[in-house]
Amino acid sequence: MYDKQVVRRRRAALAVLVALSIVLLTAYFGEGPSGLLHGLQRGAQEVFQPIETGVSRATKPFRDLVGWVGDNVNAKSDNDKLKKENAELREQVARTEAAENENRKLRGLVKLPENPAYPDGVKPLTARVIARSPTVWSEAVQIDAGSSDGVRVDQPVVTDGGLVGRVTSVTGGTATITLIVDASSAVSAQVLPDGKFGVVRPKVGNPNDMRLEYLDKNTKVEKGDLVITSGSTDEKLESLFPKGIPIGRVKRVDPDELDVYERIHIEPFADFKRMEFVQVLRANPQPDPQTEQAPNGSAGQGQEAP
Amino acid sequence: MNLTPGTVIRTGLLLLLAMVLQVSTFSQLDVLGGNADITILAVAAIGLYSGSVPGAVAGFSAGLLLDLALGANLGATSLVLTVVGYFAGRFMELRDPAHGLIPLPVALVATTATVVGVAAVQFMLDIGATVSVLAVREMVATILLNTILALPVFALVRRVLRPVLLYDPLERRRRRAAPQASGPIGLRGLDVKRTHLP
Repeated sequence: MYDKQVVRRRRAALAVLVALSIVLLTAYFGEGPSGLLHGLQRGAQEVFQPIETGVSRATKPFRDLVGWVGDNVNAKSDNDKLKKENAELREQVARTEAAENENRKLRGLVKLPENPAYPDGVKPLTARVIARSPTVWSEAVQIDAGSSDGVRVDQPVVTDGGLVGRVTSVTGGTATITLIVDASSAVSAQVLPDGKFGVVRPKVGNPNDMRLEYLDKNTKVEKGDLVITSGSTDEKLESLFPKGIPIGRVKRVDPDELDVYERIHIEPFADFKRMEFVQVLRANPQPDPQTEQAPNGSAGQGQEAP
Repeated sequence: MNLTPGTVIRTGLLLLLAMVLQVSTFSQLDVLGGNADITILAVAAIGLYSGSVPGAVAGFSAGLLLDLALGANLGATSLVLTVVGYFAGRFMELRDPAHGLIPLPVALVATTATVVGVAAVQFMLDIGATVSVLAVREMVATILLNTILALPVFALVRRVLRPVLLYDPLERRRRRAAPQASGPIGLRGLDVKRTHLP
């Protein structure tokens, strides 16, 4: 009934394509960021960027409409949550003002300079999110600013809420941001007010629940404590993120007698599901001369933050 | 489906459109805690209307496009979508479905297979992080949303591919539709207009 040759050809086609996928996967893992396949990926991103930007802008009203419907559905529970949060924040503001006042007096006493929020030389660049990964297994977004705007690999990315991720790949006009909720992410962090150090790791599938790991069991951590980047400046193990970027707040502390470390759940400030704009904290905003000379190195759409 | 330049262009444009819409629109829409994935629907539809080999090739290409565009692990999505496209095509070749609602079960099975397959590949690659139960909710949301979107997406793919298809299962169904049951019993089954009857 079946033509054996047709069956054989069909199965061979499947086998070849599956084998090719596995070869690609293996080669991709085996090579470094400057390898052929990574280069191919950057070239493809450069080509797709104008189309993605156009489509992203054209479909924004549709996305806003769906977002508006979702907001209305969740409005009641959000309102209750925000009222509670507002009351907590008022208390915190009062405490912070008192602490700031005290801090200023103490600084005056020991003649220390005021610390800026970010280290010297950091210049934020605002960029639009033009694409997003469709699965929870790879949490990455693409922005419309690239090396021609001064964006470099490993630069931190924030929103008005807090830390978002870091730049993992750059082309002339685009950059890929691996979010801190990606399975591969780990951020060295500090819990305030105690100042103890730990590592913030994601929980795949739930961007509103991250875990603070490697925090000593005797550390006193309470619900609502602020978690910021620790920004280690050690020569051997320098942190990618500058010190002091807010990550989130402690949501829950799970007491587990068997664990060596505390198991702390934190709720990040950034809304990873709905990001329209992000800010890249550029350490060195000078444009890349090589990319500027490239024929296809169109400048990104990013705007200098005021 | 014959392999002609027209076929390649039509299929390529379909996949490119699906990929661009996916990464720049559908992935950014959070509905029911997840998002729809129209590239899976496009691949399943191409497999269903064109056969197993075009389905597998479309799956491989769509996966490659997605991984290239997003800087993801090259080959991971291709691996899963190739198999999904192939089996969508085999379903058509073996069962020859002609029902108008066939996209619904095909989308349901294809999306389930893809989200489970992608998760399995990621676990094999050692994701190195804890996985929340909510990941399952997100997967279920994608399956539901894809099933809802199946009819319009399959209809669009069929419309684009129709001129290059060797035969269209739904077209055959329309031709086979029962004629009007009118007139005397002896004439039922024949396509006879009522006005011609005594």
